[in-house]
Amino acid sequence: MRLFSYFKPPPQWIIFVTLLVGAIVGLSLYSVYVSNAVSYLSDDPKTCVNCHVMMPEYATWRHSSHGRVTTCNDCHVPHTNPVAKYVFKAKDGLGHATAFTLHSEPQVIKMRPAGQAVVQENCVRCHAGTNQKAKALNVSFAEIKHGQGKLCWQCHREVPHGRVKGLTSTPNARVPVPGSPVPQWLTDILKK
Amino acid sequence: MWVLFILTVGVVFALGLLSASIMERRTETLYMNRPKVKIEPLEPRSEVWGTNYPNQYESWKSTQDTSFMSKYNGNANIDMLERYPSLVILWAGYGFSKDYNQSKGHMYAIDDILLTLRTGGPTKPDTGPMPSTCWSCKGTDVPRMIAKVGPAEFYRGKWAKYGGEQVNPVGCADCHDEKTMDLKITRPALVEAFERQGKDITKASHQEKRSLVCAQCHVEYYFDKENPAAKGVPYLTFPWDKGMGVEEMEAYYDAKGFSDWTHKLSKAPMLKAQHPGYELYTQGIHAKRGVSCADCHMPYRAEGGVKFTDHKIQSPLNNISNSCVVCHRESEKELISNVYSNMDKVIEARSILEHLLVKLHIEAEFAWNKGATKDQMAGVLQDIRRAQWRWDYAAASHGGAFHAPVEALRIISAGIEIAQNGRLKLAKVLAGLGYNKEVPMPDIATKAKAQAYIGLDMDKLNAEKQNFVENILPQWMEKARAREDNYITHSVTEK
Repeated sequence: MRLFSYFKPPPQWIIFVTLLVGAIVGLSLYSVYVSNAVSYLSDDPKTCVNCHVMMPEYATWRHSSHGRVTTCNDCHVPHTNPVAKYVFKAKDGLGHATAFTLHSEPQVIKMRPAGQAVVQENCVRCHAGTNQKAKALNVSFAEIKHGQGKLCWQCHREVPHGRVKGLTSTPNARVPVPGSPVPQWLTDILKK
Repeated sequence: MWVLFILTVGVVFALGLLSASIMERRTETLYMNRPKVKIEPLEPRSEVWGTNYPNQYESWKSTQDTSFMSKYNGNANIDMLERYPSLVILWAGYGFSKDYNQSKGHMYAIDDILLTLRTGGPTKPDTGPMPSTCWSCKGTDVPRMIAKVGPAEFYRGKWAKYGGEQVNPVGCADCHDEKTMDLKITRPALVEAFERQGKDITKASHQEKRSLVCAQCHVEYYFDKENPAAKGVPYLTFPWDKGMGVEEMEAYYDAKGFSDWTHKLSKAPMLKAQHPGYELYTQGIHAKRGVSCADCHMPYRAEGGVKFTDHKIQSPLNNISNSCVVCHRESEKELISNVYSNMDKVIEARSILEHLLVKLHIEAEFAWNKGATKDQMAGVLQDIRRAQWRWDYAAASHGGAFHAPVEALRIISAGIEIAQNGRLKLAKVLAGLGYNKEVPMPDIATKAKAQAYIGLDMDKLNAEKQNFVENILPQWMEKARAREDNYITHSVTEK
């Protein structure tokens, strides 16, 4: 309470300060809206094409066999427990958002080691039951790093995004990218 | 206090910048993966589609290539009557005995139908040997016209009726929706054939459509003048009501009492198998394993960093590494030799049937000349009809020796038995007429000799065609150019 009263402006300033704080909160909310921030809590693959640089990844996944049974998150975030999932998502996502905002994405986007470890874990998570005999499945990411085995996709090179990778590799793909942020009712009013 | 003020200004300013940057990157999406021009519904000109889809368009254009020859076919211009003069005898009295060449790529669909002797040299819209129906598979102006006048009206009248309307060869609009690029069935005959079998073609999966778009044309068909909706019009119809097998279609034709033509030498009521490529493919192992036409004839191709479907539709033998090798691990040489060995065997058997049929036609002609009666000949003529239907079904299916070699050989072997039975009957007819020696065979060693034997006046046919090419065709092309000059193409950014 003491802290609050410390920040409490003198009565003659209160209107001005309220307006200013309102402006900051409003602008922040707008940023949340225009960046579709809430969607990042979901598992919907459409979220990933909020950034258009992910179009080729979305299109190739959608057309692959994995497109029928998985979402992006099934492979690209850990599923050991919900805390690990959201911590990883936050870390990875903020990194991606920063890169995208600063226009620093490379022409060919590749996974970093942390992402590779998660994907390898998730290959095993689903395919352990179907491929019990396959020796490579029992190899951990740490062992692979020490040269004791290979990552799944070092042999299954087409899975699932194909071998040809790059920002321009799917020029005509139909991908559900976000449309205009202007709501339909406003467009209708402006048209009149 | 001032420090706090300046800090706040900074924060709000930075927030504004962030929002603007997010907006900017979102706006980029509006220009990415976006086509350049707005393709109008039923746009016939493939080059307009090509501005939006250059990779597919360029590969489609390379169906102009005529440099590939496989052991028996390919995309080169081969005069099939020169290569197999027997065909002239088998088709005597029918257009194919005048002129029949190896089919080339889709880009030639219009050129070839304009230049073949089969379409003759019409001088007016209502003259010439062929009906308007013959355009049905030639290009993207067909869906445009059918949408305008309806199928029955499209099929009505002579081929020359649509001179100046049909200029764009088989292309984009034949198989694609102009908005979504989804595969689309544009030919009424296939839709109607499905309907008569109680099937709904719109329920077909994408993989099925990757074959069905081909089955719009690469199938057996006939011109049904008895269609209740359009009496007397040569209505393009697929004879699939009883099934797509050789016997089922024969039963369909027999029940209708239909024949394509009466043979000039033997007087048999003949059936012409057009090109039951799709039907025979469905009998083969690749179809049974769910492999579509496009999987082998239009495999994926990578160019630069882009992977797309190769629209150079051609023999997979000219592109083993992208078609066969995707599934089969053998060497190219091995795979080609496997295909050729099947072809050799099917064609060996087919040649036996082919020679028997030549003999049958000529022996039947001989019997007529000896004074045989209709009653005496009835059984023989039926056998000729049935045997040649089987020969043609196997031969005209083109890739049949690859698509379904076992079924092709079954069909041919049944044909050989029927043909031999026919010759036994003929021998009895001839014996009854007091003739028991070998029937003399004419010299039909070349195309010219065979055509002379069946009484074709090739000089006249060639002269008619030349007159058409020099005097009529330029008018058609001028008419088409004037019409297409009025087509307007909008850029997508225009309002």
